[in-house]
Amino acid sequence: MNESLLMLTVMAAIGLGTPLIFATVGEIITERSGILNLGVQGMMLIGAVAGFWATFTTGNLFLGVVIAVFAGAALSSIHAFLSITLRVSQIVSGLALAIFGTGLASFLGRAGGNPLVGNPSRAVFEPVFTGSITEIPLIGPLLFGQDLLVYLSWAVAAGASYYLFHTRMGLSLRAVGEDPASAESAGVNVSRIRYTHVLIGGALAGLGGAYFSLALTPTWQDDPIGAAGWIAIALVILSSWRPGRAVFAAYLFGAAERVQFTLQTLGEPWSDIPSTLLAMLPFVLAIIAMIVLTSGKRARYLGAPEALAIPYFREQR
Amino acid sequence: MTQAPTDTLAVELCGVDKSFYGVKANDNVDFKLARGEVHALLGENGAGKSTLCSILAGLYRPDAGDVFFEGEEVTFKNPKEALAAGVGMVYQHFRLVSNLTVAENFALGHPDTGVRLNQKEIHKAARELGEKYDLPIDPAARIWQLSVGEQQRVEILKLLYRNVKILILDEPTAVLTPQEGQALFKTMRQMAAEGRSVIFVSHKLDEVKQVSDRVTVLRNGKTVGGIATADADTRELARMMVGRDLVLPTRDTIEDFGDVMLSVKDLHVPGDRGIEAVQGMSFDIRAGEVVGIAGVSGNGQRELAQGLVGLRPPTSGSVVLDNVDITNDTVLQHINAKQGYVPQSRLGMGLAPGLTTDENLALKAYRSPPYSKGRMLVASAFREEGDRIVEEYDIRGVRPGLPIRLLSGGNLQKALVAREIELKPKVLILRSPTRGLDVGATEQVRNLVLKERARGVATLLISEDLDELLALSDRLMVIFEGEIVGEMAAEEATAERLGLLMSGQVEEAST
Amino acid sequence: MTKRRFIVEPRGLVSWKVRLGVPIASVLAAFIVAGIFLFLTGVNPIEVYSEMLDAAFGSPRGISETLISATPLILTGVAAAIAFKMLVWNIGGEGQFILGAIVASGVAIWLGDGVPSIVMIPIVVVAGGLGGAMWASIAAIPKVYLGTNEIITTLMLNFIALALMNFLIFGSSSPWRDPEVSTFPQGRPIPESARIPEIFFRLTGGIFIAIALAVFAWYLIGKTRWGFAVRIVGDSSETARYAGIGVARKILTVFLLSGAYAGFAGGLFVAGPVGALDPRSLDLGLGFTGIIVAALAGLHLIAIIPVAILMGALNNAGPSLQAIGVPTATVTMLQGAILIFAVAGEFFINNRIRRPDIEPEPEPEVEPVLEEVEPA
Repeated sequence: MNESLLMLTVMAAIGLGTPLIFATVGEIITERSGILNLGVQGMMLIGAVAGFWATFTTGNLFLGVVIAVFAGAALSSIHAFLSITLRVSQIVSGLALAIFGTGLASFLGRAGGNPLVGNPSRAVFEPVFTGSITEIPLIGPLLFGQDLLVYLSWAVAAGASYYLFHTRMGLSLRAVGEDPASAESAGVNVSRIRYTHVLIGGALAGLGGAYFSLALTPTWQDDPIGAAGWIAIALVILSSWRPGRAVFAAYLFGAAERVQFTLQTLGEPWSDIPSTLLAMLPFVLAIIAMIVLTSGKRARYLGAPEALAIPYFREQR
Repeated sequence: MTQAPTDTLAVELCGVDKSFYGVKANDNVDFKLARGEVHALLGENGAGKSTLCSILAGLYRPDAGDVFFEGEEVTFKNPKEALAAGVGMVYQHFRLVSNLTVAENFALGHPDTGVRLNQKEIHKAARELGEKYDLPIDPAARIWQLSVGEQQRVEILKLLYRNVKILILDEPTAVLTPQEGQALFKTMRQMAAEGRSVIFVSHKLDEVKQVSDRVTVLRNGKTVGGIATADADTRELARMMVGRDLVLPTRDTIEDFGDVMLSVKDLHVPGDRGIEAVQGMSFDIRAGEVVGIAGVSGNGQRELAQGLVGLRPPTSGSVVLDNVDITNDTVLQHINAKQGYVPQSRLGMGLAPGLTTDENLALKAYRSPPYSKGRMLVASAFREEGDRIVEEYDIRGVRPGLPIRLLSGGNLQKALVAREIELKPKVLILRSPTRGLDVGATEQVRNLVLKERARGVATLLISEDLDELLALSDRLMVIFEGEIVGEMAAEEATAERLGLLMSGQVEEAST
Repeated sequence: MTKRRFIVEPRGLVSWKVRLGVPIASVLAAFIVAGIFLFLTGVNPIEVYSEMLDAAFGSPRGISETLISATPLILTGVAAAIAFKMLVWNIGGEGQFILGAIVASGVAIWLGDGVPSIVMIPIVVVAGGLGGAMWASIAAIPKVYLGTNEIITTLMLNFIALALMNFLIFGSSSPWRDPEVSTFPQGRPIPESARIPEIFFRLTGGIFIAIALAVFAWYLIGKTRWGFAVRIVGDSSETARYAGIGVARKILTVFLLSGAYAGFAGGLFVAGPVGALDPRSLDLGLGFTGIIVAALAGLHLIAIIPVAILMGALNNAGPSLQAIGVPTATVTMLQGAILIFAVAGEFFINNRIRRPDIEPEPEPEVEPVLEEVEPA
């Protein structure tokens, strides 16, 4: 494979991988608190449309990002309320928000007298560094030719990893996700931790969605993110609930998406593998991972937080 | 015993009351704990020991009375406050997060931890603490990798890490081997020597005599006595724990029991944590005989019952019902062999809480007529049988479509027992059938058992309630640590004898 | 401790008024919320809603289209309900629907012309059910034998099924692909004999088959010995074990049955108005909408039928919105909002809120029982 093909693949991997990093890390944080949020797709779409709209009307990228983050958090707050306070089924609540978010985002994109759909963004995230530094072979464009959000995604993943495993709050978070009763005994406020981290997850999902509409394909269209939200849920499992691994999983998936084009250029027999079959890949891998990783001893190291999706009822006083 | 004026008590409870749903768990309790003292809390289940400890540990607040720490009156709003004041408790079900490491469990919720988790520091502190108290642990190990005894060590060290001054241990030796138990006692004495106080809840007199300085006995929520261990006589303690004049009931004595209906030989049943819960029990029950098994809960009663009915496969031994070996049969086969079982957990196991009374009454019989014809249910049978049984057994509060969980405790139990009786069992096994019931319901349930006895049913009654056992049993056995440690006819039972056996004292040769 | 303004406590006997009122309130609330968004974008919600009502029920053609949309929803609703009642979180209805459609159309094409309708149609429907059950088994077997959580596995299987269908039609020259059409790939029409006869505009007899299957499920769960055992397991698996019921086997069977019903929906879809495995006219989202139907119907199998008609009405009304300049996504938004409120409504069905100083009328001989500590 020649260098430019490799470069194209890697750049595409980063392109599609970045929003996945945000969404996956966000969902990892949420699930680490024991709450399963299946509504990631809805939150990403809401972030995408909200961010696009904000930038479209004001021309300000930063504002777009901020609005996207808020929108994602706002939608996830509904899930938090239903799951933590009302303690209804997290699965159904999450799905409801996925459906609602999808509908609302599509609606907002097309509604009103001057719909957003079909319009290019008024401002787009451009690469941060320019000039000779980007011309260093290989690492030039890779490390220095990225836009701000890509660098932010690396920071978020690293920060989340550090947060989870090296801070007091992160420890409390992990304890809540594994055994909320014991955590509560140790003095941790389970409800507060869960609320906070569901919101953080929603915020990051919104940010991920905004990357699509403000950087990747900065024109509002009807299907802006594909199945990215659902893929993020699969990536959470494939990364064993660790933010560091989420980066690899996300980039791997991004590369896989690109692979179909790559295969075309390689000619027979590679170009015969249908893209539709390749589309199955992350989901098949997630199922295999689910079955293999969540049984037996391995589950202890690589599996889900023990209290995931189980509603927590505080002991009666 | 008077305290010198400069010697403030570590803890003092005066006239503490605590009730739950109208039942008084602690009734005017007085309790004194000195500094540097190992103090045993003795009593049967339901005596109020756990409630007392939970109040001290900040889990509950007393309805009345005062709690003093180091001479000052306190009210803890939650366990966190109690911990901050220096009181910590090791519960029977550990509060450790299984997937985290020992060090992480130490650090969890600790007020001094900064934003950053300093793993190295915590590891060092944990190791040093372990060495100091001769309870070695590996700070990097995950909790699930540790044995139960090791986990208990972590729980204790966790509290010492927070520098608690008062440590409460709830039946700690229940999960330990004898060697581990001895090590624990050594640790307890070491802590006392440092000026800390240890409250040690137990029902085993051996241990109480071995390690404690003072003993307080609770019974029915009241303090019965608080004396120095050295001054305490074992028999006296047993009597205080159990005794009042036990009322021997009036009931027809049957001289001639029928054939042996249930024959248990050398039964071994595993427990949950890899240890053996029933360690070779043998007994026979004849038709028309009621055999009672007395004992403090946690000595293998649950596993014995489950082993007899097919819910927990025995590792060895045999269970023979009316000359048919049912040892390894399925639960359904046990039911078809005419074995009835009234479990301790009414809504958790004996009944389906969301289904109606009619449906619950058909729970085991639904597979055959009149409840079903072929593969189809006969709805009218549910109604008719339900009405009949409700009427006959005086089950109150039943309404069509009402989920059974809304019935009061007494009616739930009547329904449960009624259902088992309607199966016309040859052998009936009951666990704590009148626990939590009011006087009226208790009498009704007891009468049901006696009626079955008269009908020739072989009955096994496993209970912690001595009154109940004496009212119903023809013969009594006492279970302790998975074995039968004593057997006697009901007439020969005294509070003292039972108390001694239940707390692990071997009987002296009878005079 | 701060004095609470309200006390939340579990409800005793739930009256039918509450059971009916809460779902109705949920639907109304959803319409109000969606209405707010409509209003904010400069549209009169009342106009939109009356347009939708007209499209769905205002004409014979409209009613027939509504019932066509409702047909698969009855079955996916039942599929979700029987699973959720057992706390089996089968959210793979989408995928099981697709596999039902694939297997049903595959069998029909393979059998070809020449088999009489009276034999062909039941075969096709059953094939659909088998397809759905088989797809569900991929998640069910690991759940029952390895303890693998079914939420993620069934969810992922949806996308795999979708990709599989796309592969069969777009990605290859499989038997499912129409050989006659060379320009743009589409599904091969199934033999005429496999098509369910039309009765009223485009509406076929499929709606009756769907209703019959739903009633059968209701009968199975509510009136048979097996169904009784299943209900016990769904209420308390510990109690079921104590009663001698094989819990694992029941869970597996119900899971597969749930998949089968979603598969029936796929089979009926193919044998109904569409007549082929066609990804574009295959109404995706039916599995998830089935979950909405089940939730709103309170998991009650017969109530699913009218609720499915309501959802069918919404689906059907969608396209007509374009004509008045309102995005069709309004329908999705409404459906999502309905599910949110339906799920929140569950809380109000099971609990009630009262002020602390006002005592509720005591129910005779009825009082909640203390929690017990250890099982048996």
